[in-house]
Amino acid sequence: MKPIPIKLRFLVFGILVAGIMIFAATLDGVCAEKHMYNAPPGGNYKKVSSLVALPDFIPGLGTLYVDPATLPAGPFLAYDKKGHLVSTVYMIPIKDINDHKEFKNLKVASGKVDHVDMYYNAGHPGVPEPHYHVILWHVSPEKAAELK
Amino acid sequence: MRTTRREFLSTSGVILSSLIIPDIMQAVWTDASGPEWQNTAHAAGLVEIRMRSDQSGANVWFDPIGIYVKPGQVVRWIVKENVHTTTAYHPRNGNHSLRIPEKAAPWNSGYLVNPGDHFEVKLEVEGVYDYYCIPHEMAGMVGRIIVGRPIGPGALSFDYYRGRPGTANWLPVPEAAQKTFPNIERIMREKIVRR
Repeated sequence: MKPIPIKLRFLVFGILVAGIMIFAATLDGVCAEKHMYNAPPGGNYKKVSSLVALPDFIPGLGTLYVDPATLPAGPFLAYDKKGHLVSTVYMIPIKDINDHKEFKNLKVASGKVDHVDMYYNAGHPGVPEPHYHVILWHVSPEKAAELK
Repeated sequence: MRTTRREFLSTSGVILSSLIIPDIMQAVWTDASGPEWQNTAHAAGLVEIRMRSDQSGANVWFDPIGIYVKPGQVVRWIVKENVHTTTAYHPRNGNHSLRIPEKAAPWNSGYLVNPGDHFEVKLEVEGVYDYYCIPHEMAGMVGRIIVGRPIGPGALSFDYYRGRPGTANWLPVPEAAQKTFPNIERIMREKIVRR
């Protein structure tokens, strides 16, 4: 039997290592997100209504959770009335946009994004200034419309 | 001036007010004109200011944003949508500049979270009363009440206090809010001003 060339051995070994690394990273990502799929998300996330004067369920958004250390940008994790994750929300103050402030490496609750909404909000407890809601929806527009 | 504490209606109160008060006041405002309106409003004794918002929270406002009342009348703010406060421009409210009569007590409703939540103030000292909504002040959600004669700090320019002792830490009225206030002459003329 003809011996396998040393270069080919290195190539196969490299492909195997890369494959294992990618698989491990994907698995880790899935595990990191899984605990966020259902309310409460755990970790440092707190229900927004326990932090500021807002209703438990906000029509159009759902029930919000946030890690207070990430305010005001978030992410806010939004859940429907059954406790299923529906969106990841970021709240970006207008003055921060005007000041060219950077927001980098913001967390995402799920890799699956169905569509994105961006709209102006005049303010509310927790973010009492004009800002933009940037919403990464993990469900369809039809499902999002059911959040009443 | 006597300020009542924040109060939430009992179920029966909510039903009663939602059935009766808006209808009375709507009728008063709809048919308002000169002395007749004044007499009717005075007889009613209570005026209602609604705290409004569109569904997305992009547009928020007091309805009406300007109103004339007589000394001793009670003003009730009631939430229709979103989360709001009614808070007097007064240094005791987060160092905001003074824009109510010097002898009047400031008020702050705290957050009114649910539709129907309300807060009442009896206004007895004559003058101009400017107030705002805490989470929406920067977006221009403010209102103005004139009790009797249009006098006092609220009748002055927004920077009237500059250079006066003890005012260094007062917060100015945000630009968006300054643009929203209805002017005093219009309130005196029309009695009720909507945005």
